Amino acid sequence: MAEHVGIDLGTTLSGLAWLKPDGNPEIVPNADGERLTPSVVFFEAHEDVKLVGSAARDGGDPGRTVFQIKRHMDDPEYLVKIDGKDWTPSEISALILAKLKRECSRIIGDINEVVITVPANFNELARKSTIAAAQMAGMKVRRLVNEPTAAAVYYAHTQGVQGRILVYDLGGGTLDVTILQVDGDNIRILTSEGARHLGGSNFDELLLEAYAQQYNKQTGAGLYSDERHRRRVLQAVEDAKKMLSKLRRVNDTVANDQNSGLARIDLAREDFEAMIRHMLTRTVMLVEQALDSAQLKASDIDHVVLVGGSTRIPKVKTMLEKLFGKSAVSCGNVDECVALGAALFAKKSAKIQEVCNASYGTVAMVYNARTGEEKLMNSIVIPKNTPIPCSRTQVYQTSEDNERIIEVDITQGEDEDAEYVDIIGRLTLEVPPNRPKGCEVAVTFSYDENQRVRALVLDKQSGRSREVAVSYKGAGVLSDEELKRRSAHLRQMRIE
Amino acid sequence: MFKKILQSLTKSHSSRTAAAPAPAARASAPKTSPLAGIKNAPAKSSAPQTPDELCGITPKMPKSEIMDQLKRLYRRHNRGASSLDPKVRARAEEMLHAIVVVREKHFGQI
Repeated sequence: MAEHVGIDLGTTLSGLAWLKPDGNPEIVPNADGERLTPSVVFFEAHEDVKLVGSAARDGGDPGRTVFQIKRHMDDPEYLVKIDGKDWTPSEISALILAKLKRECSRIIGDINEVVITVPANFNELARKSTIAAAQMAGMKVRRLVNEPTAAAVYYAHTQGVQGRILVYDLGGGTLDVTILQVDGDNIRILTSEGARHLGGSNFDELLLEAYAQQYNKQTGAGLYSDERHRRRVLQAVEDAKKMLSKLRRVNDTVANDQNSGLARIDLAREDFEAMIRHMLTRTVMLVEQALDSAQLKASDIDHVVLVGGSTRIPKVKTMLEKLFGKSAVSCGNVDECVALGAALFAKKSAKIQEVCNASYGTVAMVYNARTGEEKLMNSIVIPKNTPIPCSRTQVYQTSEDNERIIEVDITQGEDEDAEYVDIIGRLTLEVPPNRPKGCEVAVTFSYDENQRVRALVLDKQSGRSREVAVSYKGAGVLSDEELKRRSAHLRQMRIE
Repeated sequence: MFKKILQSLTKSHSSRTAAAPAPAARASAPKTSPLAGIKNAPAKSSAPQTPDELCGITPKMPKSEIMDQLKRLYRRHNRGASSLDPKVRARAEEMLHAIVVVREKHFGQI
């Protein structure tokens, strides 16, 4: 049995690594001989088989193909309808994980427990969905670990570095920036900041637009008229983007699916960099946000580490080197280091101190006794970057006379304006009648190692209390019973 | 010094007009978090707003204040960009675009 296994369940690529007996991690290839598996699922119409990986990405009908399901892991209502059946994001992800488990276990033995990586800013529902996906694939999640943390663990392991490391992880779908302190074997995360929907696939879409414009200029026609052809061009665009990381100029020839003729696409690296400049500026602002959160300056960072396929873009490296005044180095193979780090994390987790990735609190009217001002605000109970696991309590007062039901909103987010944070749950507690307003209510939030939150409300006068784990309702959220049923069904499926 | 009264958003929405201070009062409230003091965008008018206006940047604002304002707005709207509410997401994307344009205008390109 493989004891320490890590899985990078990526937006575009997924990989599995294990810790060899010599203590070094290694990527385990799938049955197609690939070290990384495209996170794509194809539902074959004629045979009862689900294709996962390159075969699914390259040949299937787009209407039966699911790309980038990870982007929807936090959407409780998102469903993919195939042949009349609704598939939740966690079920689609389970198919990817099942392929990895089945095929890699032929090489390294049974895989029962795993560490799975997630973006640092994955919210509660997305984390829960990831754990559910692993369960359906027949694996227990020992821990979820943030992707940049895993990459940093791998970097520290292979390079033997010490000091403050900033990890800039620009993947296919997300950007994470994490700052951590490495002292010997001990790693302490100082902060993690993330931007969703900012990654290589956004760059591909911009480049696709440029292709379509050039095609239209030369032929007067549209470059694609259906999703199948758009996907094909998108694949060519992605290849061109990769070439532009190596060459200053790339030429390509494209045709549409309406026999409108060929067009020659001429692309310069400078043009591509201009196209993505605004997005890269957003990434710099996230780096600055991370430095501010950790109360550090750029000069306080000892090592800048690049992770994720999009960091191969030369502009990314030069931009960060300008900002920090030092070299930005790649974390080995930027596509594989997250999975490799996850395998290391499976063994070393006790020596790694992570932090809360968001602030948790409730909505309160706050009176300032000194100034007399009052303000409805997001009142934070657990601040972002608190070391985890943790538990914090704040005492509030009831707002009305004879208040029978105390309602506590559970907020996620740093903004003091409640309009700009997410309400991720609501807890109600029935209390005795005929009490004046101003009764004390203790609100406690706990945050566990998998970055999942629980809330406890205690009415101090009556001693009544209620505790809940944040839970979600929606068409795409499975009940425990449904999860078991679908797990059993998934184990019978043919997945190639 | 601070007294905190529990409010649920559903309750506060029903009494929001009476309970919540006006935007101007909010902007001048004591700074209790790093996000306090974000200058609210000017009241909506039918005329399209420039990126500077969207970000609440005034002509004589010192550069350090512009940078602080952009950082605060970026933190807020970067979060909004991953909202499940399409309206919030669209607004956040619009603001992030404006923030980048303003940053390039006042501090140069990356």
